[in-house]
Amino acid sequence: MDFSLTSTQVMIKDSARDFLSRECPLRTVIKALDDSETGFSPDLWRQMVEMGWVGMSLPTEYGGVGSSFMDVATLFEELGYACVTVPLLSSVMLAGRTILEAGSSQQKAELLPSIGNGSRILAFALTEPDYGWSPEFVGLQARSEKGGYVLNGTKLFVPDVQIADEVLVVARTSKGDSPEKGITLFRVDKNAPGLSHRILAGWAADKMNEVVFKDVRVPASAVVGPVDGAWAPLQRALDGATAILCSYMVGSMQKLFEMTNEYSQNRIHFGVPIGTFQRVQDYVIDILNNTDSARWTNYEALTKLDEGMADASLAVSTAKAVASQGFPRSAMDAHHVHAGTGGDTRYGMYLYTKKAKTYHSYLGDAAYHKKRIAHALDLSKQVPAGRGSARP
Amino acid sequence: MDFAMTYTKEQEAFRKEVRAWLEANAKMPAALGKVPLEGRDTTREQYTWARQYRSKLGHKGWLHPMMPPKYGGGGLTLDHDIVIKEETARYKVPSASSPGDVAIAYLYVYATEEQKQKFLKPLVQGDIVVWQLWTEPESGVDLASIKTLATKDGDDFIINGSKNYISGIYEADYLNTLVVTDPKGPRHANLGQFFFPANLPGISWEYQELITRSGQHFVFFDNVRVSREYLVGGETQGWRVTQSSLEMEHGTEGGLGNREPLIQDLIAGWKEGRRNSLAHGADAEEQLVDAYIRTKLASLIARRNFWMFNTKRTQTYQGPQNEWWGRETRIRNAEHLLELLGPHSLTSDPIWGLLDGRVELAQRGASMATHGNGSYEIDKVIMARRVGLSRTKEVAAPTH
Repeated sequence: MDFSLTSTQVMIKDSARDFLSRECPLRTVIKALDDSETGFSPDLWRQMVEMGWVGMSLPTEYGGVGSSFMDVATLFEELGYACVTVPLLSSVMLAGRTILEAGSSQQKAELLPSIGNGSRILAFALTEPDYGWSPEFVGLQARSEKGGYVLNGTKLFVPDVQIADEVLVVARTSKGDSPEKGITLFRVDKNAPGLSHRILAGWAADKMNEVVFKDVRVPASAVVGPVDGAWAPLQRALDGATAILCSYMVGSMQKLFEMTNEYSQNRIHFGVPIGTFQRVQDYVIDILNNTDSARWTNYEALTKLDEGMADASLAVSTAKAVASQGFPRSAMDAHHVHAGTGGDTRYGMYLYTKKAKTYHSYLGDAAYHKKRIAHALDLSKQVPAGRGSARP
Repeated sequence: MDFAMTYTKEQEAFRKEVRAWLEANAKMPAALGKVPLEGRDTTREQYTWARQYRSKLGHKGWLHPMMPPKYGGGGLTLDHDIVIKEETARYKVPSASSPGDVAIAYLYVYATEEQKQKFLKPLVQGDIVVWQLWTEPESGVDLASIKTLATKDGDDFIINGSKNYISGIYEADYLNTLVVTDPKGPRHANLGQFFFPANLPGISWEYQELITRSGQHFVFFDNVRVSREYLVGGETQGWRVTQSSLEMEHGTEGGLGNREPLIQDLIAGWKEGRRNSLAHGADAEEQLVDAYIRTKLASLIARRNFWMFNTKRTQTYQGPQNEWWGRETRIRNAEHLLELLGPHSLTSDPIWGLLDGRVELAQRGASMATHGNGSYEIDKVIMARRVGLSRTKEVAAPTH
């Protein structure tokens, strides 16, 4: 048993921490990006490409490094620590790895190298107004017509569409006897006739888009993976991306802990540092407990994914359920301790709060992942069905 | 015990009169646009209208109905006050933002007769807008540790320092300001409570960018000369004097009506059938019921305080308890909203958000609910003192 980071992981962590603390200070660069229209810095993206961060997780035959999930997670923890927003999760871990799981050899050869070197950015569109991450929530229709398909429907709360070249769309080509049947993936050019998109105003951490498809025509070659049968490979990609998102959340929680701990030791009230008061200590320790819970469930999930273990999905859902609950709580605990300072946008802590509220739901909230856990534990066979419902 | 608000014939007759007057005076012209969700988005024209309306209401004696007419009030009874509060709440108007109205408490108790005519009366009549200046960058809940200094210079004081988190929009006429008057004096016996014009030379302010946009400022004092006539109560009595205002601000007054109409409106929207998905996996009913219960509790506590305050019953822990319930409701309801609505709760988009941006505002507001007028934890500290649990013995300050 060995819980230490490998030398590669230490190098990734140290170089990422060094670069991001220098190039992406929270109160200037990160805040400015958040305030900007697209939330994207081409310069920062280019630097990440040059450092080899973008293509890391893709196999070497496509120009990547073939890094393990744990290696990639080490980077994402640092991105979360610094509260950085880049299309890395959307383009590589979601769209890219879905193409890796589901695509033809030709598609993989055509698309993955440019995804890996950052020259092609993909958004990943699954969720719709009736929001959810399982197949029964996929209703956007893809009708087969004249050797191609016509897409109609709306995708909602999709990050990175505003900067993407293409959108990987999860659509429904038919209705089967279970929701997984009939799911098909499509590559759609962002500027395709009939596709319109806009960023939604509000307090989400990333720029979330509404994407409307009105008779959007795509050729048969736009299909990625098996027609009607894309859910299985898609779910594999989702599991990996979810674990990586959890790593980001762990990094952010770590920063919230350090920020709150430091503030408690330096803010003097009633003649003493406020960290002297047990009530304040409680919040700081709760953040620490939530951070470590998220960290260790995440590490187990990443390890199981890297080892290809059968119960990796269960571990991923465990990690996401824990992080989905722990991150928003930690953000609120940090607000309790920081009080007025935390409400001041110049201080920048609110940028983590926005991440917490957004990633609570992104790739599935705790309620969704707990259902996956229950299913994996076969609880319907163990636990008696509910009785005494208030409903008539 | 009677929870129902029953009204006398006299109240119903009065209600007709109030309603008729409000119909004629409380409707902002449509040309001025929609009343904004957040104070900082109030246009100058809307603000001007709001000030005029407030003044009209004040001159009718209805801004502070139970204050004596000698000080600009209506000289009315609690029965009238209840009707006025219920009826005015039916009209959506922009805020003229006069948070310094809490000064009424200390002016009434501690000001000289001359000061009452000069400051209390115009305030009660709604002719002046007052900002409330307590907090400083280094002094939040530890208010007694403030540093803004008033140095004696003949019959005047020269004030230097800064305040932050000062609520208001556009401008104030007067600043209700707590400062240090005796830098060598012991804690709690070294402060002075001032009520002075906002346009004295050396005073400036700028907006503070916060997570919510109700409107808060930094206020700077650069060698501001303030005459002694603006000092209320004794020169070093400021801590005691300000307690009356703090008591007012800290939940003692309570209130009628639904504390968090957002949940009620969300439930009503639910029943009518909604366009967007809700409860993507969460147990919607239980989340909504929990939010309903919380909101109900907060409203009941506020109502209890309203009754105690207006029947002049002694309150001990009830004020801070009311404050705490308000915070707890806003913080926990935001959690329920996130569980129920996911990303729908984070957008103010007219199509995909809910209740005209009120849900998204509630998400931001939760981070701000921990503090302001004290804090979530300080409320509990005060409650503990008031029930005898701490070494610090404390009773509620006088407010009327």
